[in-house]
Amino acid sequence: MGSRVNPRLAAEVAEYGADTVNKCFNCGNCTAVCSLSKGDTVFPRRMIRYLQLGLRDKLVEAPEPWLCYYCGTCSDTCPREAFPGELMMATRRWLTAQYDFTGLSRKLYLSKVWEIGLLAAGALLVLALFVVPGWLGIPFGFRDLPVEAREHVRVAIFAKTEWVHIGDWVLAVVLGLLLWTNAFRMIYFVVRGEKGVRIPLTLWFTKFYQMVVHGLTQRRWLECDNDTRLKWLQHFLLVTGYGTMLLLVVLLLPIFQVDKAEFHWTSIPGYYATLMLLAVTLLAIRGRLEKKEPIHRFSHPTDWMFLILLLLTALSGIVVNILRLMDLAYPTYVAYVVHLMIAVPMLIVEVPFGKWAHLIFRPVSKYIVAVLEAARERQTARAGVPKPATV
Amino acid sequence: MTELKKNYDGLVIGGGIAGMQAALDLAEQGYDVLLVEKEPSIGGVMVGLNKVFPTLDCSSCICTPRMAESAHNPHIRIQTYTEVKAVEPLNVGFRIKLQKKPRYVIESKCIGCSQCELVCPVDVPHEFDYGLGARRAIYIAHGNAIPQVAVLDPTYCTFCGRCEKACPANCIDYTQQPEDVEVEVATIIVTTGLQITPMERKAEYGGGKLINVMNPLAMERIQSSNGPYGRPLRPSDGKVPRRIAYVQCAGSRDRSIGVPYCSRVCCMYALKQALLLRHYIHDVDVTIYHMDIRAFGKGYEQFYRRVMQEGVHVMKGKVARITELENKDLLLRVELLDEGGRVAEERYDLVVLSQGLIPAWQGDGVLAAELDEDGFFRSISPKISPALSSWRGVFIAGVAAGPKDIPDAIVEAGAAAMEAAIYLEATRYHERFIEPTKVH
Repeated sequence: MGSRVNPRLAAEVAEYGADTVNKCFNCGNCTAVCSLSKGDTVFPRRMIRYLQLGLRDKLVEAPEPWLCYYCGTCSDTCPREAFPGELMMATRRWLTAQYDFTGLSRKLYLSKVWEIGLLAAGALLVLALFVVPGWLGIPFGFRDLPVEAREHVRVAIFAKTEWVHIGDWVLAVVLGLLLWTNAFRMIYFVVRGEKGVRIPLTLWFTKFYQMVVHGLTQRRWLECDNDTRLKWLQHFLLVTGYGTMLLLVVLLLPIFQVDKAEFHWTSIPGYYATLMLLAVTLLAIRGRLEKKEPIHRFSHPTDWMFLILLLLTALSGIVVNILRLMDLAYPTYVAYVVHLMIAVPMLIVEVPFGKWAHLIFRPVSKYIVAVLEAARERQTARAGVPKPATV
Repeated sequence: MTELKKNYDGLVIGGGIAGMQAALDLAEQGYDVLLVEKEPSIGGVMVGLNKVFPTLDCSSCICTPRMAESAHNPHIRIQTYTEVKAVEPLNVGFRIKLQKKPRYVIESKCIGCSQCELVCPVDVPHEFDYGLGARRAIYIAHGNAIPQVAVLDPTYCTFCGRCEKACPANCIDYTQQPEDVEVEVATIIVTTGLQITPMERKAEYGGGKLINVMNPLAMERIQSSNGPYGRPLRPSDGKVPRRIAYVQCAGSRDRSIGVPYCSRVCCMYALKQALLLRHYIHDVDVTIYHMDIRAFGKGYEQFYRRVMQEGVHVMKGKVARITELENKDLLLRVELLDEGGRVAEERYDLVVLSQGLIPAWQGDGVLAAELDEDGFFRSISPKISPALSSWRGVFIAGVAAGPKDIPDAIVEAGAAAMEAAIYLEATRYHERFIEPTKVH
């Protein structure tokens, strides 16, 4: 079985954030020190070997980068200071770009002009949605508001809740479709790489629970080996924050979008989500400034952009709520639009094309590895087929 | 042995194999040499080794004659248990401040009869056996020590007075104080040798705390016929180890512990020890885990082949973790690169860490000769005059100048002695004592 060598592979991945590939002399310390690396999924050294040899197809077909949760022990103990953990991180960014069929992910990772341009375009689109209808005489957004909405906060009059809700759904469906398409491409690549393995159709169904469990709990992280519980908890709380927000905005907007200047019980989950988002984002920013933990030692420009957008989203959301409670009608509407001008472009850039895409690639990798393992087991049990040769 | 004079042609700092060789090579040309050693005996690391690679000669059988020669040479004065405290450059030569540490034993009177050792009631882990054997609070450094003079260790001594009563030469003196001595020398040869890489920073290997994880010098001792056990046993329970692993590059080529260089000797000593273990223990399983085997010297590659033919397993893969199990067995986690990158967990009775070499002395504010990035003394002309330090009149040899094996250290010591002799002739140093006005 031949493999095509691409001598530019390492340089290509280096653009996604780690240029230490050639320091590695393949001693295998990283793989053996990693508590997640076992059985048929051993990493990071093998991934670094693919990079060194330019085995582009092998790397695209590897689910392993997504099985790494970046505890950083490999980087801490690497005798060559090749930072295998960071190489895995860069490989994940590169893979996100490879899975993405639109090619936007690659552009967003490698070009600040594209990233800022798309964010700005998204922001302008949102602004237009709140300005243009008013010009056309459609009762939505900035326009000649009725007296009631001018004197008191009446979000439902400023931005008709049902219409905003439709917008949420459109965004959710579009982003979800992009994400799932890329996830299917990932599954296709990984399966393509396992040429000798025949996968019975039933396994795809019986192993699907892996995807759900890992997607909801990220419990694989707990098998890592430094400060695991705390790090996992932090991330898990963040996920519950995101989850709550998603639920509120996409499913429950009619009760979440409190119309008047008064406290309403539906705000409580909103406060919870905001608190989690803000706290974890601030912790991450502090971590990246201090550079103590391996996971925060190196920051790609997109990492900073992501954190800044998250922070601004949380802060602008808080401002909206404060202004609403103060019953300052016009400022509330402006803050509302600004909040969406930050949040919507962030979602468009990060969910299908950026860092957030890991929310699907990680559980999918666990799922597909479980399927492949079971398939291989069945196959060897049946025919005694030897495992494929590896690098 | 001669008395301590005020002037010497050469000062050799460090009385290991390189220091002895340098001192002898100068002395045999007629120069007077002062050989200073901080330990109670000369002989350095080599006198504690079992056998040497690749010839498998008995190490002390080569080293002890050198020690005796140094002691008996009329041009060499050996000053043990003494540290160099200051080196002050003069117009020609150096003024040296030495500090003799108190032995609490009058050196000139002690006859080395061991009576004090026999009556001393205090047992202490013996440094010479890396804590695996015991010595008394008053003791002679080891059987081959030169000089055969006892030394009292005040940290453990209870001052019971038994040694004083037992001593037939009446040489115990509990009141000794550190003694400062000044000498003038024309040239200095630094042969301060090595320490093995400390393992405290390597938590993955137990941080130096696991009892059945040994350092290679301790393994030399337990393999030696005059060692603490007389045969290879494992320290925790004294059982004969059936499965033994060597972890190569445990303290070398590892930037994460600040030792990026190759120590050059570990592959060979591990191969040698592994081979000897195959000789000493019937059917023992010995595996050497390595990043690559560097058998670079004359006859070394052949030796490597021979070791493999004699049944030592040599596997590629850097051991990443050592975990102690309930019965003090050890679990090694390693990616086996010869087996397609399989991650293996293997159980062993005994593990030897092939720790690397770091300099034992770096001048420490006493000697301002420059160091290299790796911490060893810098040679200003490493290709054609490797013994030249950055300080005129100061020469370097052996591991003080960089990691090397015994033959290389001896060759370099000879070179340093020759450079020192040339320097002595060029400065016409000894004419100073005949016609002091003719200096310069």
